[in-house]
Amino acid sequence: MYSTMLKTDGDIIVTQKGISDTFFSDINRSLGLKIEKIENVKKVNTLILGASPVNNLPIVGIYGVSKNRFENYRLIRGKYPDLHEVMVGEKINNILQAPKTVTISKKEFKVSGVYKSDIGFEDGGVVIGLEDASSIFHKSASLFLVTLDDINKQDISAQINALDDGIEAKTTDEFIDNYNQFKIIKISSDVISSLAFLMGILGIVSMMSMVVNDRKVEFGIMRSLGFSSRAIIIKLIAETLIVAILAYLCAIALSYLILDAIGHMEKFQGYINGDITPSLAISVFFISIIMATLGSLLPAIWASRVDPMSLILQGGAR
Amino acid sequence: MRLKAQHIEHFYAQEHILHDINLEIESSCITAIVGESGSGKTTLLAILSSLLRASSGSVHYDDISLEAIKNIDEFRKKNIGFVFQFHYLIDYLNIEENITLNALDATKSSVLLKALGIKHLASRYSDEVSGGERQRAAIARALINDPTFVFADEPTGNLDTKNAIGVFELFKEFKETGFVVATHDKKIIDYADTIIEMEDGFVKNIYTQ
Repeated sequence: MYSTMLKTDGDIIVTQKGISDTFFSDINRSLGLKIEKIENVKKVNTLILGASPVNNLPIVGIYGVSKNRFENYRLIRGKYPDLHEVMVGEKINNILQAPKTVTISKKEFKVSGVYKSDIGFEDGGVVIGLEDASSIFHKSASLFLVTLDDINKQDISAQINALDDGIEAKTTDEFIDNYNQFKIIKISSDVISSLAFLMGILGIVSMMSMVVNDRKVEFGIMRSLGFSSRAIIIKLIAETLIVAILAYLCAIALSYLILDAIGHMEKFQGYINGDITPSLAISVFFISIIMATLGSLLPAIWASRVDPMSLILQGGAR
Repeated sequence: MRLKAQHIEHFYAQEHILHDINLEIESSCITAIVGESGSGKTTLLAILSSLLRASSGSVHYDDISLEAIKNIDEFRKKNIGFVFQFHYLIDYLNIEENITLNALDATKSSVLLKALGIKHLASRYSDEVSGGERQRAAIARALINDPTFVFADEPTGNLDTKNAIGVFELFKEFKETGFVVATHDKKIIDYADTIIEMEDGFVKNIYTQ
């Protein structure tokens, strides 16, 4: 994902001030030289980010990068690009069936090499030299990725900001937290997750209510045999938890399979590259447990209150 | 143990179901509560067995009032067994698991299964045995904790004559336990030690044979 790409490279991101999207950012490339001179700045990568049709593909991410960033891409064939050359991600290379040349914005470029990246966003893209990217997208640079020695990032950010009124330097984490696109995605996913959580609880309540209704006789018998209300509540919650844990294991296995399948689908050019991290899996596990407990609590209380008299009344006697 | 009911009155939706019931029942004998439908025999059985609280009056097990018992579930588990008209065996448990569902000592099940003639059915499920065998299993479940009293509501209501007689004969075999049986079945008269005759919510007669 784009955020992963930014996170894994550089401590500070410098863009045009006030832009809503890095694709619209336009800054002067020469500022990179000034930033490099600031004490404790280790490296400055310059990037031009754009998107354009490539051959018959309607839209592909184009990464114009300074030569010192080429090493970020693991070459699996050929060499890094010179002027009027590009290197293509493995996915794009497969989709275009190992092209010798590609056409970007009506200009033809020779394919100098093929790279592989673990970041799907990059693996489905085309990397080009800064000069060529500049001529395609008509801008000097989109952003700088600044790598520092182990030092206070805020202090260096302030020094970079002081270089030019038109730029904005933020630590990578700050940038990702405040980047509108990511904010929208995060808020949307939070809302969807909350709704899914509530729907999940309601679903469990509804399902367990049916289960309790179906097993009314069983709970009535248990009450008449001297089972306490607490024992019945614990029994029902335990049953729900076992189902929840099994469902969780199935869901995790299924998610891995689906994400893996999506990752290999050429249609998505590697842009959808979901990952289930251990911390995510653990969070989901605990959320499942909470959902199962909350969802089964009310039906379990109903079950514990089944009147054994109903067993007699079902016989029709009085 | 002696079960004593004093001045039991019970109302259901403004209908007066039981009128001033006073009686004493000894454990170690079979007591039949007989009467027509609507006479109040099942309501009385439910009140005596702690399943239903009377609108007024008291029920004592020896000197212990049901009202005063803090943990009625525990009391029920140790002292009371139930047999209903329908066997109400849990269908996902086999016969033995049904019998030991809330047993204080599960090892007793094999003795009980043998005594009731259903040992060979221990691992079967309720839908794999006959109606009479199911009711025997339900009786075994009621007896597993050696209760003082077993309350049975129309225990032969779903059985043919042969199986119904089999159930009453079984009650007779367990001499240590008191059976209180609410039933229409006139065959109980041959087996009961005491018969309580109910009519319109009143105890009409109590006679011992």
